[in-house]
Amino acid sequence: MSILQDFLNYVGANSGYIMTQFFRHFLMAAYGVLFAAIISIPLGIFIAKYGRLSSWVLALGSIIQTIPALGAMAVIMIVMGLGTNTAIVTLALYSILPITQNTYVGMKDVDKTVIEAGYASGMTKFQLLRMVELPLAVSVIMAGLRTALVIGIGIVAIGAFIGAGGLGAIIVTGTNATDGTAIILAGAIPTALMAIIADFVLGWIERLLQPGNMKAL
Amino acid sequence: MKRVCYKAGILLVLLVTLVGCSLPGLAGTSKDTIKIGSLVQSESEIMAEMLAIMIERETDAKTDLVTKLGSSIVQHQGMERGDIDISSTRYTGTDISGALGMDPIKDPEKALKTVKREFDEQFNQTWAETYGFENSYSIAVTKEFAEENDIEKISDLEPYAKDLNFGVDNAWVNREGDGYDGFKETYFDFGNVYPMNLGLVYQAAANGDMDAVLAYSTDGRIKEYDLKVLKDDKRFFPPYDASPVINNEVLQKYPEIKEITKRIGNEITTEEMQELNHQADVKLINPRKVAKKFLEKNNYFKDAEKGGD
Repeated sequence: MSILQDFLNYVGANSGYIMTQFFRHFLMAAYGVLFAAIISIPLGIFIAKYGRLSSWVLALGSIIQTIPALGAMAVIMIVMGLGTNTAIVTLALYSILPITQNTYVGMKDVDKTVIEAGYASGMTKFQLLRMVELPLAVSVIMAGLRTALVIGIGIVAIGAFIGAGGLGAIIVTGTNATDGTAIILAGAIPTALMAIIADFVLGWIERLLQPGNMKAL
Repeated sequence: MKRVCYKAGILLVLLVTLVGCSLPGLAGTSKDTIKIGSLVQSESEIMAEMLAIMIERETDAKTDLVTKLGSSIVQHQGMERGDIDISSTRYTGTDISGALGMDPIKDPEKALKTVKREFDEQFNQTWAETYGFENSYSIAVTKEFAEENDIEKISDLEPYAKDLNFGVDNAWVNREGDGYDGFKETYFDFGNVYPMNLGLVYQAAANGDMDAVLAYSTDGRIKEYDLKVLKDDKRFFPPYDASPVINNEVLQKYPEIKEITKRIGNEITTEEMQELNHQADVKLINPRKVAKKFLEKNNYFKDAEKGGD
């Protein structure tokens, strides 16, 4: 009961600070996923076209995924230094696999007969990609972005240890205070909420982009 | 196919520029922001917030905090690489043995002079005026015990030491130089020594499990648990006076920062820092609020409006 009271007091007194860190946390996660998407979507398309490379690329992505985030962040910190950039790059690395994989799967799942029809109607390769394959694959690609963002929000929380700030910094503050449970909650609950909201919103967009629903737009 | 290459090219250039300069919304990624590095302790973050508030008031620079750094060495490396421009708190004793790799200097003034000179020469950094407080090791007992037996300084404990339980933090026991071995040589042995996690030390003293503990002099919990810090009469512990350290390039660009550090300098006593830490660690007040309240209470803002002191 008193923890709840402490928690409400802390949140009430520091709502501005928590909002600032929330926003900062979200931006770091969003930028990381954005940069990963810029690399991974073309990469996914590429390996879908040149199938031989796919197993190699996806294996590499899986290997990156197995490295503990804290360890990866520490290594990247040696190269990139302290602060937000390092957190963003680490998270971008972890986002490569889900986005590449989903782009690959999305592209592969496009019905071959549809592609043939497009080809027969005189479309160039690029037109095929833009007008047929991508629109059909986009909802699966969105699912990849969604997974990446949700994982990313968790990884950014660790960024507190390399000076990146964000909601993770609030959690660390709590662990150092005497009876800091209230502060830990004030960092942890918004982090969890952010992940849930991100999952929900991107899930909604994903459903909207499903080929059957496209007309509704 | 050419168009695809063209578009990919544009995208690549865009990516490089984005990584190269600032990301909207994240001040720390911009080159014009003064980045202030602070340690994981509240004290360091409070001082970083004070500097940030003052710098944003007095200069047109933006500030960003790089918080929760693990140690002074991390701060030092960050400053060498340019990841941070200002370290909010650096301690003479720590950096003489850490960044400078020298033997401990027991005289506080000589220690301060040494770091000022060496940091300027070796690293092109300015070790500014001390804030006025020091976060050194010290021995603490309960106030009750001190009053009953009339104990003011560490030497006063000697007659009782054989029967006392001494609680210390794990790191200190095995420290060379100013650790327990050195302590025994200068002062005396305690009857029983119990190494434990630092967080437990103060509580153990307060509830009577420990009779004496090794404490950090600015820790807010000293106040919370009503402990008394004993005077280091034989000057065994090296001085750990706290100062901000600033990159000289930043100082050239914003000379006002020098004025700011002078104004905050020598103003905060160890007891006052205990109180500020107490607010942050025990009363769970946000460091930025603690900093702002302190500056307001001490009229730093009014002075600024009148055009300095």
